[in-house]
Amino acid sequence: MRGKDCVAIATDRRFGVQALGLSTEFQKIFAVNDKIYYGLAGLGTDVQTLSEKFTFKTNMYKLNEDREIGVRTFAHLVSSTLYEKRFGPYYAEPVIVGLDKHNAPFICSMDLIGCINFAEDFVVTGTASEQLYGMCEALWEPNLEADDLFETISQAMMSATNRDALSGWGANVVVITKDKIITRTLKGRAD
Amino acid sequence: MLEFGDSKVNPLPTNINLHAIEHKFSPYTDNGGTTVAVSGEDYAVVAADTRQSEGYSINTRYSPKAFKLSNYAVLGTGGFHADAVTLVKRIGQRLEWFQHQHEKPMSTPSIAQMLSIMLYHKRFFPFYVYNILGGLDENGKGCVYSYDPVGSFEREGWRAGGSGGSIVQPFLDNQFADHVNDARVNLPVESVVKIVKDAFTGAAERDIYTGDYLEIFIVTRDGVQLEKMDLKKD
Repeated sequence: MRGKDCVAIATDRRFGVQALGLSTEFQKIFAVNDKIYYGLAGLGTDVQTLSEKFTFKTNMYKLNEDREIGVRTFAHLVSSTLYEKRFGPYYAEPVIVGLDKHNAPFICSMDLIGCINFAEDFVVTGTASEQLYGMCEALWEPNLEADDLFETISQAMMSATNRDALSGWGANVVVITKDKIITRTLKGRAD
Repeated sequence: MLEFGDSKVNPLPTNINLHAIEHKFSPYTDNGGTTVAVSGEDYAVVAADTRQSEGYSINTRYSPKAFKLSNYAVLGTGGFHADAVTLVKRIGQRLEWFQHQHEKPMSTPSIAQMLSIMLYHKRFFPFYVYNILGGLDENGKGCVYSYDPVGSFEREGWRAGGSGGSIVQPFLDNQFADHVNDARVNLPVESVVKIVKDAFTGAAERDIYTGDYLEIFIVTRDGVQLEKMDLKKD
């Protein structure tokens, strides 16, 4: 979600195979640097492979450019990486949030072959995407401050994942402002 | 030998398909739409959008999906509209017979049970309808019953169904959840109507089958009132 000079990203913590739950603390949020975070939903192995690939690519970027990568550039990097596999894709749909070089908030999501959705308000992916659309559409308003944005994204996440059998076991929430990054873990229904 | 016409011999066609051709007629189609019902201390709210679709087309912008069954019961339907209309017609007939036989209107919980039986009677060629019944029970308290197409039903505090059901339901949970009393909602009817309107504007944004107009039925001990609202038409 986009807020006033801040962005927030949240994921659930479940990792499973259909009805079988395998982990209740699976990490799906990754940091590129202090100003860019991304979340990956989908096939577990692809989530891990892609996060390792992006770490490699952004490290190389830093060595070659001698500067941090910008959030829009990173988004296009992710898009290209996914489209490379156009006819045998990674089964993962990323959500990217961050502050650009002027500290203006930026959010976007992508489908599994890299089509970017540049949104002004909020982006959602995953098995509970319809539920998340309903919650965000109802709860989000523009220019929320960091604390209010945290409340809003948390309520949306908890209510939506409680109506999806394949999501849950709490949530990981990260709120990014130009001065600080706050990471929180929410306790949720363990079913 | 007999000769007919001009006796011209036409060559046999060479472009015939020698493989089997599969014909498929489906007795059902999905006309889309979203329905919601909420029960309170002494009221029930039943709302449904009015768009009727088929695939990517809109058949009509105004085709009501919620029907008043009695002074204290309203039925919201979703799924195949032809089956919904027929089902409502047959329920209406059963309500008339009951009224004549027992000299009183059918109570909402009785309608609820009867609807379940009527649906299961067509277990092997179902009414493709997702029903949500809302109204007042025999004690004047609000009640909501939700069904699957073959009659499995349950009384709940609130339910959202139809194509936008998964978009709306978590929002209702968020606004109404009260872990003391899940049978009814602890808010005044005006707040509930506001929440329902917000839920539908959200659903109309993100569900292509929901939109055009919204009809809200409010059931209280004074009977049934109807409120209409515009929704996005895109």
